[in-house]
Amino acid sequence: MSTQVGAGVLVDGVSKSFGRISSLVDVSLLVEPGEAVAITGRSGSGKSTLLALIGGLEQPDAGRVLIDGQEIWKQPRPARARRELVGFVFQRHLLLGALSARANVEVPLIGAGMHHRARRRRALSLLEEVGLADRAEHLPSELSGGESQRVAVARALANEPRLLLADEPTGALDSHTSERVLDMIFQLRDRLGMTLMVISYDSAVGARADRTITLADGRIDSPTAAAFKR
Amino acid sequence: MFAIITTNLLRRSARTVFTASGIAVGVATIVALLSFTQGLQQTAAGLVHLGGSDLGVFQAGVSDPTTSVLPESMVRRLQASPDVVRATPLLLLVEGVKSDPAAIVFGAEPAGFFTHSLVLLSGRRPQPGSRAILIGDRLASQLHLNRGDLLTVKGHGYRIAGVYHSGILFEDSGAVLALAQAQQLAARPGEETSVEIQLAPGALAAAAARSIERTYPGTQVITDPQQALRAGANGTLISKAILVIVVIALIVGAISVANTMAMSIIERQGEIGLLSTVGWSPVRVASLILGEGVAVSLLGAAAGLLFGVIGGGLLVHALGVSAYVSPSVTAWGLGRGLLVGVAIGVLGGIYPAWRVTRMTPLKVLAGG
Repeated sequence: MSTQVGAGVLVDGVSKSFGRISSLVDVSLLVEPGEAVAITGRSGSGKSTLLALIGGLEQPDAGRVLIDGQEIWKQPRPARARRELVGFVFQRHLLLGALSARANVEVPLIGAGMHHRARRRRALSLLEEVGLADRAEHLPSELSGGESQRVAVARALANEPRLLLADEPTGALDSHTSERVLDMIFQLRDRLGMTLMVISYDSAVGARADRTITLADGRIDSPTAAAFKR
Repeated sequence: MFAIITTNLLRRSARTVFTASGIAVGVATIVALLSFTQGLQQTAAGLVHLGGSDLGVFQAGVSDPTTSVLPESMVRRLQASPDVVRATPLLLLVEGVKSDPAAIVFGAEPAGFFTHSLVLLSGRRPQPGSRAILIGDRLASQLHLNRGDLLTVKGHGYRIAGVYHSGILFEDSGAVLALAQAQQLAARPGEETSVEIQLAPGALAAAAARSIERTYPGTQVITDPQQALRAGANGTLISKAILVIVVIALIVGAISVANTMAMSIIERQGEIGLLSTVGWSPVRVASLILGEGVAVSLLGAAAGLLFGVIGGGLLVHALGVSAYVSPSVTAWGLGRGLLVGVAIGVLGGIYPAWRVTRMTPLKVLAGG
């Protein structure tokens, strides 16, 4: 796998509501390229919404989110911009149950239009990276929770993202397995140089990250950086 | 993408089978009806070329060519036309044979080319004035009759003088009686159903038909099977009924596929959200949904084609017309069935596919 520079993230005065509920209120945040940031906060504090806005899964009501100077939603092809910049890992692995581990890792590469042989090679290489080369042809139902989450990490890395967003990636795992998955995520980040933003209640995550941001009632108390542009 | 489509359909195999079955029934109905009308058309070709004629003159505007009434005097005048070599009158008695209502009894002049074109397999032609009849080999075989047996036509018994074969389904499934006796039976003295005409070498059927229709207002000249089908109200009715059935099959099939796919996308919100999250464009996700709809329809259409071919045979038996209609399966008929199947998939997949493009990944992931 190639090593590349992580993406810088600027969240600039972003607000987001769902109906009458304000999920984020005028949030601003700067993440340096290659930085590992842990995001904590109580349930309902707006952590997942913040990650979804950064990853371009939702549009902010106000403000803007720039990844390496680009607003994903304003790109002519937002799906492509998201695919090239961002990788996601969720609390649930969300693997497609009828597909093997390898085929699951190939799914983002299908979206990128990669040839099937190249897809297969890349998927196998990623599974080797997360220590699951010998489980490549197993279905998700034949994998443990930790193994499934490692496949999900491999899938998130398939398109060589410069920003990895992880929403409680170890929330559904036991402590021993959580440890292993976190080790893997942080090692990959160190080796690949990508920017990492992880939501977690786990204090161990905060200890491994370069910085921890706490959200409360949709607001952030971290210092806001000046406008960021590459 | 193809692998994902296949996997998704296999994963929900029961639903796939039920949806495909519904489409199969629709396509099978269409194919069976098309093969039936194709068979009917071939039968109509026999009606046009009775006795080896080039064209047939019928009364215009009748609901069915067999109900046409022409004056016998027309034959002599037609015979005098420059394009005509021979003309012979025919009186068709429909449902005259009680033991086989589908059989047609032809009242024909014993000296006319119609009677002469019949190849006798056994027996001889009836003596003038005798109460004798010729029977086609198919009808004879069906009713287990032979030369010397009695055939009852409209309540009157006729001795079978001989068994013939002409190669025309209508004729071989019927019987031939002297015209005068047929007119007496039908209580239509001096009338005939049609005048069968053989044209002079080099004469064009279409030009001759136009000339006859101009000379004899109130007549229609049938030169090809399609015309024969169109001339008859039954043929028109069948063609229109098929069109209606095709449209109904399209609508019902499309709704069925749309319903299945719509349910499928609701159940698979998590999966669809994931595909969007990992960078699949809305168009690509929509193509996946549309592809699944088309794949189910193709499965159904393939099964429908098979059932339709079998169903065509069953249909003519169910309608009791197997004596003179053989279902005919053509590549075009199968192609139309397949086309309807694919159209069902595309039409049924459009709405669910459009809905997918309206979903935002976060909402979908939250719902999944």
